[in-house]
Amino acid sequence: MAEVQPTRMELIKLRRRIAMATKGHALLKMKRDGLIMEFRQILEEAKEVIGRMVEKYEKAQQKLALAMAVDGTMAVKSIALACCRIPPEFTIKRKNIMGVPVPVVKKEAIRKKVTDRDYGVLSTSTRIDEAVAAFEELTDAILEVAEIETTLRRLIDEIDRTKRRVNALEFRVIPMMEETARFITFKLEEMDRENIIKLKHLKKKMAKRAEAEAAA
Amino acid sequence: MLIGKNATWAYLVARTKVMKRKLIPKDEYRKLLNMEFNEIVRYLEETEYKKEIDEFGYKYSGPKLMDYALSLNLSRTYQKIIRISFGLAKDLITSYLKKWEIMNLVSIIRGKAANIPPDEIEEAIVPVERDLDYYRALIAKDVDEIVNTYRGTPYFETLSKMGTIPPNQLEDELFKTYYLELTKLKPAELSLKLFVDFVKMEVDLRNLKTILRLKAEGATPDEIISRLIPNGFELTMDECRKLATMSWSELVKALEGYWFWKDIEKVEEELSATEVLFDKAWIEAIAKRATSYPLSILPVMHYMVLKKVEVDNLRILGWGKWYNMSNEEIERQMVIV
Repeated sequence: MAEVQPTRMELIKLRRRIAMATKGHALLKMKRDGLIMEFRQILEEAKEVIGRMVEKYEKAQQKLALAMAVDGTMAVKSIALACCRIPPEFTIKRKNIMGVPVPVVKKEAIRKKVTDRDYGVLSTSTRIDEAVAAFEELTDAILEVAEIETTLRRLIDEIDRTKRRVNALEFRVIPMMEETARFITFKLEEMDRENIIKLKHLKKKMAKRAEAEAAA
Repeated sequence: MLIGKNATWAYLVARTKVMKRKLIPKDEYRKLLNMEFNEIVRYLEETEYKKEIDEFGYKYSGPKLMDYALSLNLSRTYQKIIRISFGLAKDLITSYLKKWEIMNLVSIIRGKAANIPPDEIEEAIVPVERDLDYYRALIAKDVDEIVNTYRGTPYFETLSKMGTIPPNQLEDELFKTYYLELTKLKPAELSLKLFVDFVKMEVDLRNLKTILRLKAEGATPDEIISRLIPNGFELTMDECRKLATMSWSELVKALEGYWFWKDIEKVEEELSATEVLFDKAWIEAIAKRATSYPLSILPVMHYMVLKKVEVDNLRILGWGKWYNMSNEEIERQMVIV
């Protein structure tokens, strides 16, 4: 505050900055609200997707348990060795939600036909197929959850950042600038009042001098 | 006193009959179903499986301990049968148990292709017809050396195709070669014919399961036919081809009348449940034939199948109880004959 030059030019500049900050604050508030709305929508979707993933996980665990029970640990281990050959392939692209870049997972077909899988049909059983299919579906669901969870995280980060900016503008930057503007206005008024008094003193002196000259 | 061909079988059948008596009786499963996991393990500690459970006790726990102990017991039982048999019986039993070698070979190839550490590959091995050292040596080799190890065997031709055909096709080809080797045996005498018929019945069952499994997955007839094993008992390749081209309802109807269609009202949506019924029908059919030919390879094969079924049943019980499956679900997966 002490460094501020209490000039009219400074006041005009400050008022412009206050106007811009107020406008920015309103825009950021709108962005924050927009992001929160978007977040809530995606959150609902995420709840469904995560719920589906949990269901698929439970189903996959059941099927694995059944495969382990009927075919044995060794057979399941052997199938796991075959399924490790090629990990699931996917590419990550980007899209924007209110200026926030979020990932879009483009996956190759993870769910395969029995005849396309990396293990033979003759040495395996239906239980193994069911377990593998359940885990393929689970992988699909995990990728879907990964996409939506990253989107949510990015949105939360952006909401947090925007909130901090809104709060900084609302509770610090704008009030400080308004305070400074008030200070400058006060100083300018003070200077105006001093000038008026000075002028009045001068006028009084001049009037006295004129009276003295007239008396002489 | 038995003299001649039947004497060979008499000895072996007598030995397996004694071993068969040690199998868990059908009624015991009802009792086991009502037990907790720990109680089942305690029960097994009082049976033939004690030695294996104690052996693995330091390494594994829970259902894994039970699983590995059961597998070890199974392989030791099969090794014992090989040990006590001789002549033609030994040859036939060894050739039949070659299936385990193929399974282990497939596991090794899978592990090698996925760069899995040797220890982990070894965990998937069930040494039956050959000992663990043989497989350890095989695991230490690279894929080309493994293929060369089988030079001069019927499997070499298929193995040498590695890399040029998809892995699933290679695995299926290996099993086809195994069954072809067994079913092409010329049944010069009754024992051999009974053995070949036994294998052919297994081929029927495998083909039937393959057809149903692939049909349910929506595979094309060509895809199904390429996975079938020739030389079935009743399901010849022509029959299989016909079945593969049929719609689901036609297929289910067409299956009625075959030897394996016994006490089956319909093919369940969950195929695994129906597969259990087919397995039951198979075991009953073998039992019937084994009773008709008491001095042949069949009682031995029947015991070997029953032993495998017992191990599978106990494993289902163990894992089922461990995962809190309902008794009905566990029972549905068990083959109790």
